[in-house]
Amino acid sequence: MSQVEFVNITIDGTTVQVPAGEMVIESARRVGIEIPHFCYHPRLTMEAGANCRMCLVEVSMPRKNPDGTLALARMPKPQTSCSLPAAEGMVIETETPMIVEARKGMLEFLLINHPLDCPICDRGGECPLQNNTMHYGAATTRFVEEKRHPPKAYPLSKYVIFDRERCIHCARCTRFASDISGDAQLDFLKRGADMEVSSFRDTEFTSLYSGNVIEVCPVGALLSRPYRFTARPWDLSTQKSICTECSNGCNIKLDHRAGKLLRVNARLNEEVNEEWTCDQGKFGMDYASHEKRLRRPLIRDGAVFREVSWDEALTHVATALSEAGPAAAFLGGARSSNEDLFVLRRLFQEVLGSQNMDHRLGPAYPSAADVRAALGSQSPTPIAAYERMTTIIVFGCDLAVELPILYLRVRKAAVRRGAKVIECQPSSYRERPHANKVTDFAHSSIWYEPGQETAIAEALAHVMTGGRDPGASDGASDAAASLPNAVAEANVEFGSAIPRLDDGPIAIIIGRDVWSRSLSVPATLKAAADKMGTPCVINTYACSVNEQGARELGILPDGSVQASAPGLNADQILHGLKDGTVKALWVSGVDIASQFHDPELVTQSLEQAPFVVVTALDLNRTATMADVVLPLASVAEYDGTYTSMERRVQRFHQAFDAGVDVREEWRIAANVGMRLGVDMPYASWRDIFGAIATSERAFAECTPDNLGDGGRLLADRNNEDSR
Amino acid sequence: MNPIRLTRDVLTPIGKGLGVTISHLGKMLGTRGRAKFTVEYPEERREQFPRTRWRHYLTRYENGLEKCIGCSLCAGACPARCIYVEAADNTDHARFSPGERYAARYEINMLRCVFCGYCQEACPTGAIVLRKEFELADYDRKDFLYTKQMLLEPIPIRPRQVRASDEAPKAAPRSEAA
Ligand code: SF4
Ligand code: SF4
Ligand code: SF4
Ligand code: SF4
Ligand code: FES
Repeated sequence: MSQVEFVNITIDGTTVQVPAGEMVIESARRVGIEIPHFCYHPRLTMEAGANCRMCLVEVSMPRKNPDGTLALARMPKPQTSCSLPAAEGMVIETETPMIVEARKGMLEFLLINHPLDCPICDRGGECPLQNNTMHYGAATTRFVEEKRHPPKAYPLSKYVIFDRERCIHCARCTRFASDISGDAQLDFLKRGADMEVSSFRDTEFTSLYSGNVIEVCPVGALLSRPYRFTARPWDLSTQKSICTECSNGCNIKLDHRAGKLLRVNARLNEEVNEEWTCDQGKFGMDYASHEKRLRRPLIRDGAVFREVSWDEALTHVATALSEAGPAAAFLGGARSSNEDLFVLRRLFQEVLGSQNMDHRLGPAYPSAADVRAALGSQSPTPIAAYERMTTIIVFGCDLAVELPILYLRVRKAAVRRGAKVIECQPSSYRERPHANKVTDFAHSSIWYEPGQETAIAEALAHVMTGGRDPGASDGASDAAASLPNAVAEANVEFGSAIPRLDDGPIAIIIGRDVWSRSLSVPATLKAAADKMGTPCVINTYACSVNEQGARELGILPDGSVQASAPGLNADQILHGLKDGTVKALWVSGVDIASQFHDPELVTQSLEQAPFVVVTALDLNRTATMADVVLPLASVAEYDGTYTSMERRVQRFHQAFDAGVDVREEWRIAANVGMRLGVDMPYASWRDIFGAIATSERAFAECTPDNLGDGGRLLADRNNEDSR
Repeated sequence: MNPIRLTRDVLTPIGKGLGVTISHLGKMLGTRGRAKFTVEYPEERREQFPRTRWRHYLTRYENGLEKCIGCSLCAGACPARCIYVEAADNTDHARFSPGERYAARYEINMLRCVFCGYCQEACPTGAIVLRKEFELADYDRKDFLYTKQMLLEPIPIRPRQVRASDEAPKAAPRSEAA
């Protein structure tokens, strides 16, 4: 770390030491003074910033008199504190009569064309413009002329609606689009009084991160369409939660009212999502309050389902499972909490004596043992660590879709920290319709046709281990010229030359499509990484919300250390149902009939299966084929933890009562276990989490109370290779 | 008992008390109709004080549009938290109020209401008002949940001759058949 220089500045009479060059608006926060502002946002660049003039302060600088003494010289005009770097001896005043007058004037200007229709504005109640006007503005208006009336409620995309009248042209949204998500789909059109935020002519605002502009907009100009008019801020209660739409583990807030989830906002976690969410998460969690949610347990009665009591359903399940015994099997679980998985695993291993369990729904996934053999037991690269990488390689992964928040971090590393990003993608990715592509900031892009993955991996390995053209200068080498024959023959299209790769830490992200089909790519790269002098991690990240948790807890046929022989994997379980070797199936929280790679097999197996119990939020396709359907509580309705793809264990909290007869999956499993005569005395998620920490080495340092708001990374695997 | 004490402690006070009653009776009989304190409710009703606050109404503009815009400010101001508002978009096909937004659901739980009138004070459009109708007793708890339909004023219908004239009165008379 380079040495940070500190300077002394005085803000409203308080002297404070701050890093040189810090913006005064931030320094003021350190002494507890909030300077009103609109356009300033600490995560956005200052280009096109400092335009609202709300953050004015008076500044005096020490100046040398001719005789060598120092005197304070006041700058003649107030300065914008959001763009004023702190310097030694600076004296700032934030509440002088001039500033009070200036703020009042700025607000008057901003409100000239502002409709002030706060009562019907979705931002009303949490609106910086409203708040600042209340605190610093004039009580009445002097503007009697007709206001400008551009169109209201203009739909920018399927998620975002734009009220042009309310925009104060602070450029936060346009800077988000150009600095953070990088798609630059919002920008200003026209100038002066006609200036307006717009997506470009005839293009929809299709960014995969569009929801964030709703949160950064300091007024009610950019608003959420699904949330529109459903509630006011004071109607809402908020609860801390974790996004369930992918494995990144974004920290979110659930805003709910009367037992209904209405809105999802980002919750600050510098290590994970900073303060962003992706649209999948922000708008995809409405299933929690969907009217199609299951409310009562169902038992098949011929061709129809009959609503039954929990007691009857559980007895039925317990009987069927105990008859099947070791021939019972378990599929799914990538969306269940750590606690659910732990109790389910106990039920299958200890009570039924079955190791037939698999959380993976893809095609012939490599076995856990093979993965361990190929990749060792490295911990995956944590999200925040990407900012320290020199080189990031993205292999066959549409990052913004597969791991959306990691995409933002990789982009930040490339754009702000100067990391070199190399992507190797199937050429079909070029035609993907969305606007958030690694190509936009990649140093080199290599396109391949399906089947060439291994050749590309070999080429990369070749460059990684120093096989580059020795004549090339320090920067890029013409790697293509010195590639192994196999690669040259494959006639791969290289976008540009591969730079040297051995000059700093490397993180390699391999897409699920690649590593789930064959381990040759990760294995090739791993072998090369081992030969390099620089640290290099090969990441085969989990994709579903708690897929990593299922890996850690061993929801795998060969995931258990105790089991003598591995159980059946997903394919074998489904075939086993057909030929009668598997007698009962428990499907947890996942619609395998639509998500499994071979839906036909699922349909056939479920039709012939002697007994299938499905736990689900709604009556999905799998559930319609089950013998017993048990309604699950959604993430908003219970407490627990998830393990994200960087092995971060994070807590989600119950937001509201389900109001209907649904249960947590761990409770269902424990009830079944108890009916089969095994004591599973769990009263809450804490009991189970305590048990996990006792029995699982990776969780050893976790307790229900030390997860905090930001979660906790599991112990580094590199230190536990005694296994 | 000593007759002196009997007269002093019992008969005299009784006589005094009766005297008061009889004198008031005399006054009332003498000034019939003026100083009457009770009325023959429910056939007769008292005039309410001007600022009495009882049953809520959601009022309308003259043209029949609802004044309520579903802003939930009343719900925010309500100390008993007994108002529930859910808003929705006005469309060209279904317009309930001027502007973009109207109250799709509006409910007041009258059992919890303390008749403070804060909702009326908070309302930016003057939609919710508390009027003098005080007979709110009912037989069933759920009947105290006043819905929007119960709270809304009927649509004003103006008599023909008034509508034809150029000078329509500000507050149009309401027909009982609305
Ligand atoms: S943006 Fe803010 S100030 Fe403007 S109408 Fe909405 S709530 Fe009121
Ligand atoms: S839409 Fe909002 S964020 Fe964008 S410029 Fe206008 S006020 Fe700023
Ligand atoms: S009168 Fe008071 S308690 Fe009753 S609904 Fe209005 S604000 Fe609430
Ligand atoms: S009654 Fe008034 S305050 Fe209440 S929602 Fe309607 S307009 Fe808003
Ligand atoms: S916040 Fe400083 S000019 Fe807008």
